[in-house]
Amino acid sequence: MSELFVVGISWRTAPVAVREKLAFRDEELTGTLQAMTAGLPVAEALLVSTCNRVEVYGVTRPGADATGPVRAFLAAQRGLLPAAVADVLYDHRGSAAVRHVFSVASALDSLVLGEAQILGQLKAAYGVATGAGTSGPVLGRCLERAFGVAKRVRTETAIARGAANVSTVAVDLAKRVFGNLAGKSVLVIGAGKMSTLAARHLYASGAQRIVVTNRSPEKAEALAAEIDGTARPWDELERLLVDADVVISSTGAREPILTRALFKRVTKARRWRQLVVIDIAVPRDADPAIGELDGVYVFDIDDLEKVVAANLAERAKAAEHAGRIVDHEAAQFEHWLRTQGVVPTIRALRERFARVADAELQKALDQLARKEHTPAQQREVVQRLVQLVVNKLLHQPTAALREAPPDEAGLRAEILCQLFDLSPTGPAGPSGAAEPAEPAEIDEPRQTQQALDRAIAEPASPERKAAT
Amino acid sequence: MPRTSERLLAVAPSPAFWVAVVAYTAAAAALLVVLGGHARLRPLALALVGVAFAAHGADIGWRGTLHVHPAQSVREALGFLAFIITGGYLLASMRYRLTLGGAAVMPVSLVLLVVARLTPAGTAPDDLSTLGRIHISLATIGVGVFALASALSAIYLVEERALRRKRFDTLAFKDHGAPLEPLDRLSHRLIWVGFPIFTVALVLGAIWVSKLGESLDRPEYPLAAVTWIFYAALLVVRQVYGWRGRRAARLNLAGFAAALLVLLIYLVRRMAG
Repeated sequence: MSELFVVGISWRTAPVAVREKLAFRDEELTGTLQAMTAGLPVAEALLVSTCNRVEVYGVTRPGADATGPVRAFLAAQRGLLPAAVADVLYDHRGSAAVRHVFSVASALDSLVLGEAQILGQLKAAYGVATGAGTSGPVLGRCLERAFGVAKRVRTETAIARGAANVSTVAVDLAKRVFGNLAGKSVLVIGAGKMSTLAARHLYASGAQRIVVTNRSPEKAEALAAEIDGTARPWDELERLLVDADVVISSTGAREPILTRALFKRVTKARRWRQLVVIDIAVPRDADPAIGELDGVYVFDIDDLEKVVAANLAERAKAAEHAGRIVDHEAAQFEHWLRTQGVVPTIRALRERFARVADAELQKALDQLARKEHTPAQQREVVQRLVQLVVNKLLHQPTAALREAPPDEAGLRAEILCQLFDLSPTGPAGPSGAAEPAEPAEIDEPRQTQQALDRAIAEPASPERKAAT
Repeated sequence: MPRTSERLLAVAPSPAFWVAVVAYTAAAAALLVVLGGHARLRPLALALVGVAFAAHGADIGWRGTLHVHPAQSVREALGFLAFIITGGYLLASMRYRLTLGGAAVMPVSLVLLVVARLTPAGTAPDDLSTLGRIHISLATIGVGVFALASALSAIYLVEERALRRKRFDTLAFKDHGAPLEPLDRLSHRLIWVGFPIFTVALVLGAIWVSKLGESLDRPEYPLAAVTWIFYAALLVVRQVYGWRGRRAARLNLAGFAAALLVLLIYLVRRMAG
């Protein structure tokens, strides 16, 4: 039987120096996938290559083991010896593989727990595999399910709640004060990668405008152009503070520039409207004492880190619950996969039964149509029809049971007992080698056919009926 | 006639009352569980609040059919006050996450309801005039609205404290409760709604008392005036000087404490006969 497997490398097993050696560029994916399904015992395959992981999700050809060949294939593709990557590559098969795929999609295996970026990358990888023609029914179903599980995990657990990095924490904190950032204005003081990122996040979360100020007007202009903001002169700082709702400060000043004296004037002019100050400069730009003023909330870099740590701790707690969801969904998927194997058998069985029943029914109908029958005769025809169908259907299994080699007869009988919910009585139990007793007169379909013909030819007398 | 009044006030609690008691308790417990991190149970908790609200309303209606109305006495008014508070909470939580507030408001409603139904009835004034009924109704509604406003202010203070002290691992922070600015604004709007109602109630009460010919030297009368002054001052400083946030919330709570004290004195006096 074919089964799902995973072969890969991730941040858990290898540093970036190793991961980058095994990474694939987007334009290489299609060719690699097609080479894999053409040359290896792999029926379906998907390749996801991100900065944190390179993984192959696949389905083996029936009866084959694919993980070894795929390991060798990955190494060969990147010009490495299989032994060189043996320790950093991992593989999962069957239910472990399904659980792994579901965990990855749900961001439970991400470097930053709950970071949803991987879901989009998986969707893209699935798109590539579909385009390359290497995704089939099993992998397709598995991925579709994985996307569903990811959605469930996100909505039912706190895995993605709370900002998980310093530049998005600013948004989180501002939202705790203002709720909705629509119509709020952001003041960026000084320049710096982090403040630029934070301002971008605030803007993306609905903040209406961004104002940039810097001691150097050129720098202010440059940054403003970069983040769609407006540059204002440095000497307007006090007025800018009065108009702002969120301040992000990261100047290189040695002394605090957001002093208590300045903020006493500012808060009064603002009529104590809430003001969130995010101070990511070291040394700090904001005098901590301004945090005691009404309506002013000051957070320095340590506070932001603390929020991130607290949020990540919450996410780790949520991961347990998420893990249970993944286990449950993986078990359901496994069940689906197992039933897929027997579907053709079920179909064949039903078709065969239907064929036998249809043929006999047609014969009986023809007989009835040939001449007038009394109700008693009709009854007999129907009785015979049922008997005939039963006999025909049982003929083959009965013969197979009788003619079974001695070492298999018991097993076959046992399976039959299970399938038909039988509890045989008498000396020969299900595991006994003796043949099950069977009434002789309904043994052969041919005999029954003759009896039926007789019954139709000569109308049944009451005595005869009683004897039957 | 006095006998009839006593009988009316001694009406036993309806089955709906007991449903409300159970639902309030369950809702408070469920909200605590939600606070404990089981966010999935939030709809269940809010549904329980809804059940409590409906049962509470049914109990008030049932008493109405027995001619016991919310405006009949302070005792009945208390039950109605709890009803308004629960309804207001239900409305507000449609819009904001007020889990923490709910865990505080549900026990308050429960206690008010139980006090209103299970304390000794005392004797009712024989001649409860239309004026008196309107006074009690308006005062109840006014105080109910103030109660909601002060609940929001209390939540504001708890959340603000957590944020200002950077207690990022406390429940008040982790719950991602209602944001500060909207809480402050909503509380202020509620005071604007409650204040005129309360003012009219106060004036009618004064007229009623003077009509009855009672003296004005009971402690609850000046205290009611003090309550009014608190709220009037709150509206003025906010409008004129822009007070908001922490200071406004504290003033609001002080005003509500005075209002509660007035109610308490009434109730004790009534129970004492």
